[in-house]
Amino acid sequence: MSAQSAPAKVQQVSAIGVTPPPDIYVECQAFSGSLATLFLMVRDHKVNLLGVPLAPVCEAFAEYLIETSGEDTERAASAIAVLSYLLERKAFALLPVEEASSEDPPELSEPMEPSVQEFAQVILALNDLAEERGGLFFRQSRPPVQDLVDGKGGAYELPIEIGDVTTFDLARAFERLVARAIPDKPAAFRKPARSLSEMMVVVSRALQLEFKSLDEIVVGDFTRTEAVWWFLALLELIRIGQARVRSHKGEVQFAGAAAA
Amino acid sequence: MRLDRVIEALLFAADTPVSADALARAIGCPIYEVEEKLENYGARLRDTSALQLVRIAGGYQLCTKPEYSEVLSRFLAPQNTRLSRAVLEVLAVVAYRQPVTLAEIEQVRGVDSTYGVHALLDRRLVREVGRKKTPGKPHLYGTTQQFLHVFKLDDLTQLPPLELSLSQDVGDGIPSEQGAFLLE
Repeated sequence: MSAQSAPAKVQQVSAIGVTPPPDIYVECQAFSGSLATLFLMVRDHKVNLLGVPLAPVCEAFAEYLIETSGEDTERAASAIAVLSYLLERKAFALLPVEEASSEDPPELSEPMEPSVQEFAQVILALNDLAEERGGLFFRQSRPPVQDLVDGKGGAYELPIEIGDVTTFDLARAFERLVARAIPDKPAAFRKPARSLSEMMVVVSRALQLEFKSLDEIVVGDFTRTEAVWWFLALLELIRIGQARVRSHKGEVQFAGAAAA
Repeated sequence: MRLDRVIEALLFAADTPVSADALARAIGCPIYEVEEKLENYGARLRDTSALQLVRIAGGYQLCTKPEYSEVLSRFLAPQNTRLSRAVLEVLAVVAYRQPVTLAEIEQVRGVDSTYGVHALLDRRLVREVGRKKTPGKPHLYGTTQQFLHVFKLDDLTQLPPLELSLSQDVGDGIPSEQGAFLLE
């Protein structure tokens, strides 16, 4: 078994969907390939993890951290996520299996594989029940049952008056903003560049009297930290009545407070 | 005040299922009287109203009759988000094997079920009901009242029967009082 932190090949697979882990190459009898591929293979039940010693992989990761001096925290975090998943899966696989009692007949001594096929019929029946239930309408107040089912998030309360805008609308707007952000340069535990009140001044200057989406308001490059601070400041402005929010054609729009 | 009208008022005002016990406590009369009136009220609605009284999620609730669903759908335009097959699979495993851990769900399905469990938690169809006393103390999941409401069930005993060829080991950990639906 060996695990090397040196790049074995160009990593093409993004194991957890965002940032691929570092190019740690795992070589043993049960598996040969990158850490990301190992993660995917284990996740898809294509590799028996019991045959893959994880200690050398962890050592290689520690070596990687020392070599790179923790410069790329995104990839390091990705590796931690992958390694913790693998360790959890392996720990689970190593748990002792209860032995069948001696009174069991021999044919039942082997544990039967549970299967989702058992549930095929009841899933159809549950679908029918849900359809039948869909034809009934109940009197509702906030939060409506159907809103919860639809994931509109009626159960969440905000100490802010945001009209017909739901918490999910805000979350989606924030998600889009963060998606546009570029990862921060690593600088562990640094204090934010601005305080929230300073950020609120910046945000209130960016808001105009007419409603605009975040895509229109926030332009240019910004980091994830800036995006989070920006959005927090925006929420605080809404809370104190210095900003307004509305849902327009499925899009959340923001504006500054109307002139008195 | 007539008892049946008081019950009608309470049912109208309630936006969640109300148990006969809760009605009896609110009115201050014996539960058997409330149950009798509920039965009479339900029968009266059957013939004379667009509403009906249903037993759902452990209580009684007023709702519209199915024959008005089309016009109500046009009027209210509910956004029905169907559960995907994968999420329904997770839900079925939780419903029939609760309390159950994520690992046990994955053992049954053979695939990662993290998304499914989170989707169901978000929709309040399942909830964490405790932790299993095994290494790692994993979360145990069970269904909610919301689940009963969405699938028009009064309680878990009304779940469609699970026809099993495998049998005895299924249902490990299910409380005995809920065991009636386990094996046919």
